[in-house]
Amino acid sequence: MNLDLLFKIAGVGILISVFHTALKQAGKEDMASLVTLAGFTIVLLWVVQLLGQLFTTVQAVFKLY
Amino acid sequence: MGLKLIGCVLVVLAGTGLGFSMAARCSERPRQISQLIAGLAAFAAYVSYATLPLAEALTRAASGLSGPVGTFLRQAAAILADRGLLSPREALEEALASGGRRLAWERAEREIILQLGSNLGTTGRDEQQKYLAMVLDQLRRLEQEALRHRDQNAKMYRYLGVCGGLAVAIILV
Repeated sequence: MNLDLLFKIAGVGILISVFHTALKQAGKEDMASLVTLAGFTIVLLWVVQLLGQLFTTVQAVFKLY
Repeated sequence: MGLKLIGCVLVVLAGTGLGFSMAARCSERPRQISQLIAGLAAFAAYVSYATLPLAEALTRAASGLSGPVGTFLRQAAAILADRGLLSPREALEEALASGGRRLAWERAEREIILQLGSNLGTTGRDEQQKYLAMVLDQLRRLEQEALRHRDQNAKMYRYLGVCGGLAVAIILV
């Protein structure tokens, strides 16, 4: 299991929360939610690849071809 | 690995620099507007009480000002003195076009300055005095707005610059 991705996701999460706070303090709630959405999308793109790998592994283990 | 680290540091530094320069521009604007107010108040006095010609009044009004605003007023005065055929608006337009990039003014201030240029010299002294007072009033309002904008956004730009650099570095690694 590659731990790098976990740390990357944690880093993006922390930064996005700082972004959100800074933008919200400046009264830009709409931008704050947009940034959160963008961060979520980036992390989802990373995670989807791993999920794909997981499904292929499950298929391989249970011989569900 | 070393190269990656250097690249990351450079990306973070670039983001930080961008954020800080935007914050500096944001906090520069009210300062430059207040300088313009001071310059125009002096200019109004020179025009109404000393009845100096436009170019000379502009030069004298700019004499106490430093930075881009002083340079802008001096440049407009020089253009007016060199080419007497130009109208004040054309001279101000030219000065804005040549040195305007260093000014942190937004479109509203530029528009006020150009409007002032088209009104200068077309009416009597009293009318002009009233118009200048109105311009100063408008500029004071803009200054208040710029101060509010600075208080709200300068810190945000700094945070966003640093965090944006870090986020890009993390995503690229």
